[in-house]
Amino acid sequence: MIESPATREGGRPQGRLALSRAAAMGWGLLSPALLILFVMAIAPTIYLVYVSFRHENLLGPGSTFVGVQNFIRVLSDSDNWADALSTVEFVVLSVTIEIGLGLGLALLLNRRLPETNLLTALFILPLGIAPVVSALVFRVLLDPAYGWVDYYLQTWGIIADPIDWLGNPGTAWLAIVGLDVWQWTPFVTLILLAGLSGVPSEPKEAAALDGAGPLRLFWHITLPFLRPFIAIALALRTIEAFKTFGSIFVLTTGGPGTSTEVINLDLYRIALQNFDIGAAAALGIVFLLFLSVIMQQLLKVLGDNTDILED
Amino acid sequence: MGKKSNEIGRGAPELSRRALLKSSAGLAGGAFAVSIMGAASSRALAATTQPSSLNMLYATSEADSDAIKAALPDFKTAMGFDINLDTMPYNALQQKAFAELASGSSFYDIMIVDTPWMPALTNKIEPITDMVLDSALSGDLDIKDFIPKVFFDTAVYKRDTSNLHFDKSDVVDPAAIKAGGFEIFGLPMQANVLTLAYRKDLFEDPANQKAYKEKTGKDLAPPKDWDEFAAVAEFFTNAAQRRWGTTLMAGAGDWATDDFKTLLAGFGGDGHLVNDKFEAAFDSPEGVRALTYYVDLINKKKVTPPGTTSASWDNVATSFSDGLTAMTMNYHDLSLSPNVKGTVAYATVPMGKSIGPHFGTWMLSVNSFSKNKEWAYRAIQWFTSAATQTKALAHQLHPTRASVYENAAKDPAISQKFGNFYDILGKSLAVGVGRPRLTNYGDVDRSVWVAVNNAARGAATPEAALKAASGQVRDLLAQAGYKTL
Repeated sequence: MIESPATREGGRPQGRLALSRAAAMGWGLLSPALLILFVMAIAPTIYLVYVSFRHENLLGPGSTFVGVQNFIRVLSDSDNWADALSTVEFVVLSVTIEIGLGLGLALLLNRRLPETNLLTALFILPLGIAPVVSALVFRVLLDPAYGWVDYYLQTWGIIADPIDWLGNPGTAWLAIVGLDVWQWTPFVTLILLAGLSGVPSEPKEAAALDGAGPLRLFWHITLPFLRPFIAIALALRTIEAFKTFGSIFVLTTGGPGTSTEVINLDLYRIALQNFDIGAAAALGIVFLLFLSVIMQQLLKVLGDNTDILED
Repeated sequence: MGKKSNEIGRGAPELSRRALLKSSAGLAGGAFAVSIMGAASSRALAATTQPSSLNMLYATSEADSDAIKAALPDFKTAMGFDINLDTMPYNALQQKAFAELASGSSFYDIMIVDTPWMPALTNKIEPITDMVLDSALSGDLDIKDFIPKVFFDTAVYKRDTSNLHFDKSDVVDPAAIKAGGFEIFGLPMQANVLTLAYRKDLFEDPANQKAYKEKTGKDLAPPKDWDEFAAVAEFFTNAAQRRWGTTLMAGAGDWATDDFKTLLAGFGGDGHLVNDKFEAAFDSPEGVRALTYYVDLINKKKVTPPGTTSASWDNVATSFSDGLTAMTMNYHDLSLSPNVKGTVAYATVPMGKSIGPHFGTWMLSVNSFSKNKEWAYRAIQWFTSAATQTKALAHQLHPTRASVYENAAKDPAISQKFGNFYDILGKSLAVGVGRPRLTNYGDVDRSVWVAVNNAARGAATPEAALKAASGQVRDLLAQAGYKTL
């Protein structure tokens, strides 16, 4: 059949109609999720940007446009830079230790000893405790006058005088990082344990027959298989560690002095204690931009390393 | 002048007797109408529909919520409606109160307000001066019974210039407050002030008394000045026996500022920290001497227990209760743990050139968005009345009325339970020094406590720490719009 121009022209609208129906159906199905995304994420972000250019006194008669004044203020405050650096140091230190310890524990628990199930259950316990509660417990344990830590360290002759853990910057950081490691290492362990259970035994057996020692087996066979899981643990823990607030707030409140102040404590103080919403929004946006760069790198690491899972 | 009178006399029509009578009748009628309207408005105020309940936001431990909870059944009996009480710890309370007021929420009719919040809230808290002056609403208020210093520091502000203090007066006079352009923003409920608690058993121990006399040539007694305080603290310190002279609250937090401002006032400085000209008043020779003395107690004389540079007010209370120290300064009465045999007594904090223990009082206020303002006002009147406060003594409420302290002194049950605490609390309130009235006091406070903490742990000399804090405070005051006068 020879298609007349009229027929061809008549077919186009029908095709377009079908296409637009499909598109409408797609958008219709997407709309609840888009609506939620808009209400929960996009609209607050737009408002955050709007507020960051204003002097916003929630209790005053109104707000005024101040241009980039809030950004200049938060970026020119040397304390904010110091706190940003502290935040990064905290994240790098905590996550590195958690990945290392978590890997060690996962390898230990993967040996399928009779005690493994009990040990796994015990290691998971810290995950079930709220960070604020953990911090309170740590605060009591570390009290130099009546805490267990100093008591036993003195009883065993390890230290002569009690240590004021939260009264010195170095030991205060040790306490904060120690708390985070105690709380989150089990999470890393669980992820890596799942990864270890997927490592095939054949390559290891073949390599062992060829004379490979435990270290070479780990380095050349186990670790490559674990790479995607380490990347997942790294990404998830880094994101969470940047959000740490409650444990530091309860344990040190940023002290001694301002030595354990992190950006989240600054945001809390500026927004919810001083109610300077404009400055807090500006600091929040700067922090968000910084985190976006870090997250991009993390997602790249994640993408590069999880290819193996797709293969 | 005479000419003018004549002109008026000539030009004005003569006032007839009838006209005079008419005018008088008119004036009398007008006055009657005004008085009727006034009475009607008073009655209208008083006769608004009684609610079935009011919502109250209150502090958990800082203002003794137990005292309020215990009073609720009596309140229902007396007032005929319920109070729905929400209590929260300090930080959560402040956020809740500010969020409610910022959003114009009418949910809470009554809110407890801490002194440092008030400069930022004068446009959100309902001024109650007119209701106080309305005899129909305030017949039983007896406002003059409130301790004047506490009342003026806590409740009297100028709405648009909240940094100003009402000229101190010996009597609480609402009419004078109104005439001065000020308003009353609530009724004081819980007065906290630093007092010195000490182990009476240790001070009265004959062996200690003898040893102290031999060592210093003086009688062992609660220290009257700061030199004596250091001497007594040194005498009781014996780290090997886990006993120290005193606690200090040098950890990072508001409490370190409170310790320092108490010493600053005692050493002759301005305990308000920021003076009326909006200048940082603590970076002064008195301030340096006060902080040096404080740091020396911790680091040179070592009369404080381990952990002092991270201690808060609740840590030091625990240290004292556990028998680790012979003295402590705190805002509350204290008891010893059951395993510590001893007794506690109280004294005012030592005096130097002057005396000025830190004090801050909570008040009950009416939310300006409440739909039941008059009833909320009646409720706060009831909660702050002498009768309610007297009854609440047993629950450790710190009263704000002079008569309640008199009642406490006469009540053997109170003396039995709290010793001389209420006597000392009342005396300390009379000489206490409050905080500066600043909308950003939280930031100023933080700069000062960071300085105190830095000096206490040896991270900076007292001079350097105070100088750094002074610079920060200057910037903070400028940021908040306060211009040095």
